[in-house]
Amino acid sequence: MKSQSEEKKYMPEISQKEVEELRKTITATSQKVIAENIKRMKKTDPNRPEAMQYFDEIADFVTREKEILAAKEEGKKVIGYMCLFAPTELILAADAIPVRVNSGWYDASKLGDRVVPVEVCPVVRSTIGAKMIALSPYLELSDALISVLTCDGMTKLGEILSDYKPVWAMTLPRVKDSTQSLRLWSDEIKAVKGQIEALTGNKIKGKQLKSAIERTQKATKAFRRLQELRKGSPVIMGRDAMLVNQTYMWDNIERWTEKTEALCDELEKRAQQKIWACPPDTPRVMVTGTPMIWPDNWKVPTLVEEANPQGILVADELCSGERLLYDPVGVDEWSMSDMLKAISERYLMASTCPCFTSADGNEDRINWMLNKIKEWNIQGVIYYVVRGCMLYAMEYTRVKKVLDRINIPVYYLDTEYTREDVGQMKTRVEAFLEMLSARIDI
Amino acid sequence: MIMQLIGEILKLTVLAGLAVAGILVILIWKKGLATKVTYLRFLVQVVAMVAVFYLFTYPVWQLIVLIVILVLPLFLGRFFCGWLCPFALYMDAITLIRKAVKVRYRLLPDKLNKFLHNFRYVLLLVFLIIPFVLVLLDPPQSLDLATLLAVLLAGPFEPLRILVGPLIPLIVPWEGPLAISGVYFSYPYVQEVILYSEVVFSEVFVTIIAWIFVALTFVGSFFVRRVWCRFCPTGSSIAVVNRFKGFKWAPLLHLDKDEEKCTKCGICKRVCPVQVTEVYEQKGGKINTSMCMLCTRCVEMCPYEDCLKLKFGGKTVFKSRNWLEPSTIE
Repeated sequence: MKSQSEEKKYMPEISQKEVEELRKTITATSQKVIAENIKRMKKTDPNRPEAMQYFDEIADFVTREKEILAAKEEGKKVIGYMCLFAPTELILAADAIPVRVNSGWYDASKLGDRVVPVEVCPVVRSTIGAKMIALSPYLELSDALISVLTCDGMTKLGEILSDYKPVWAMTLPRVKDSTQSLRLWSDEIKAVKGQIEALTGNKIKGKQLKSAIERTQKATKAFRRLQELRKGSPVIMGRDAMLVNQTYMWDNIERWTEKTEALCDELEKRAQQKIWACPPDTPRVMVTGTPMIWPDNWKVPTLVEEANPQGILVADELCSGERLLYDPVGVDEWSMSDMLKAISERYLMASTCPCFTSADGNEDRINWMLNKIKEWNIQGVIYYVVRGCMLYAMEYTRVKKVLDRINIPVYYLDTEYTREDVGQMKTRVEAFLEMLSARIDI
Repeated sequence: MIMQLIGEILKLTVLAGLAVAGILVILIWKKGLATKVTYLRFLVQVVAMVAVFYLFTYPVWQLIVLIVILVLPLFLGRFFCGWLCPFALYMDAITLIRKAVKVRYRLLPDKLNKFLHNFRYVLLLVFLIIPFVLVLLDPPQSLDLATLLAVLLAGPFEPLRILVGPLIPLIVPWEGPLAISGVYFSYPYVQEVILYSEVVFSEVFVTIIAWIFVALTFVGSFFVRRVWCRFCPTGSSIAVVNRFKGFKWAPLLHLDKDEEKCTKCGICKRVCPVQVTEVYEQKGGKINTSMCMLCTRCVEMCPYEDCLKLKFGGKTVFKSRNWLEPSTIE
């Protein structure tokens, strides 16, 4: 009999043959979906920015997989993470590669049903399914996973994945603005720093950490520049910008920054020449809620931007989108302790994840949305929730109340990791967009 | 006499003009209005120290300085503390040394910080009351108002000197406690320390006490940023006004926060040299606190454009910018 530690605590025993078969079919579907998504994005915006080509290439999972493999052969380590709270600066400082491993494959979520009940959030189920058949190259390549205990799903996901990989759990305090929370979180950051150092064998020194923070700040700068460009008349389709944001989750950070800056340069030129991605009076929509992850879970942005009447996503409040890099690490003094403190504050306090509450509730998230609505001139909000995503679903009532007060229509779109409801969702989204354009005409 | 006065006024005007011109040159040279406020503030502090030295060469300097300390803050808030005070310059210089040797500052517990903030009134009160006590213990021959005032304010105790204390430049235009080849050196409060301890101790001890005071403030400001500013009685005047309701309009110069743009990332709280928590805690609008010295470090470090502003009257003087520099188009 196997010892307790070797035994799989959660994962079912599947025959190698079945794994291979499933993997083959789902990978084939995934490649098809990627190709189709990109094709459709090109179709929506016929003169799509040329700089987007790089992001199309890096989005196919294979290109970056090869690179990471090569880096691994040179002795680099790969550290995966599920939630945005993982301090990527520390990973970069230890000369390791950070990759986000959440899965967006619809088919994999059905496999996850064998481990957890269907009521569980599909992002979690899909990640479990992807692991069962070794679908996600980034999850496979990572040497360790940082699991931040945010929502219930993510908490247990880390535990389930520990069947395969070393998982470093980081306790996230649920109240984000108290001193004791910050103390706990700072200790967690220090602990995970120790673990990263032990895994990579590289001691994180002040110099490396400073460089990592600066590299991330540069990425933030490019990132913010892109979001700022979406403020005016549409120079880029929302899906394209979302794809750029998504590729940050696994791309090489310097190259990503460079390519994003190049894209922004091109977009600025287009803005001057008044080349718009779609007519400037297209209803401007913001999407918020459950993270949407490439490649499969692309249906809502696709529906909005391909609908008739068309809408355009100019902003989002998704942890797979604009929340990725919006907040920089602000360092007061470049000493080790201050840098670590700045990092822990940036990840804990600046976040607008609904897993938090505080004296005034998750007010920051509301403020974020109000600010976006004003500055990005948003006309309607789509509140996207997948089944099982409790925290976002529960905050809806509050968000709706606030948005009603400022007379911004909000539409609650609940769905699943499935392609079957696209037809009926299309009707719903189109009705919403029709209402928005009617409002604009008035 | 009148010609002399005009001459002096001219001299002061030229000095002030030079200072303003210097600041303007730097601002224009740096283009985006003061992107590095910390350096700008250093410059202003140095200029202010020179100006204070110049003020001290006047026989009526105490009067001028007291006007500056007591009247200006009513409208400018503790801007004086943050930008002009020479003692603050020394403390900032010590902070630079600390940064250079890479030692992390220590934080005072919030409660202690608040206590010290209130303690400044006690200090001020004590210094104002002591001369009365002295008068009672050793009454002067005649008790008319003029003599009494003279004894209280300019007698052996000179309570108002405590207000001028932090303004003492390192080189003083009078006979300072330390003379090296004809140049007199001093340090904030050292003369007062000597004056008051002379009553009790012998001369050797007085020197030792003075040096201990210098060492204490040095070590204190090495480990705690702006340690003296947290309880300095000179910074009281505006604080008094800010404490009463109905006087909220009084500080013309104040910080303003846009609630919707704030993500409560906590940077403003962390970078504040006197650990003001109100900027972070207050929801939005005018920041009402007498602890803030308007040094604008938080405005400089806030990464969200337009979120924090320094306002003069209704006008924005300086605002937080996306220091990652966003696109300029639209």
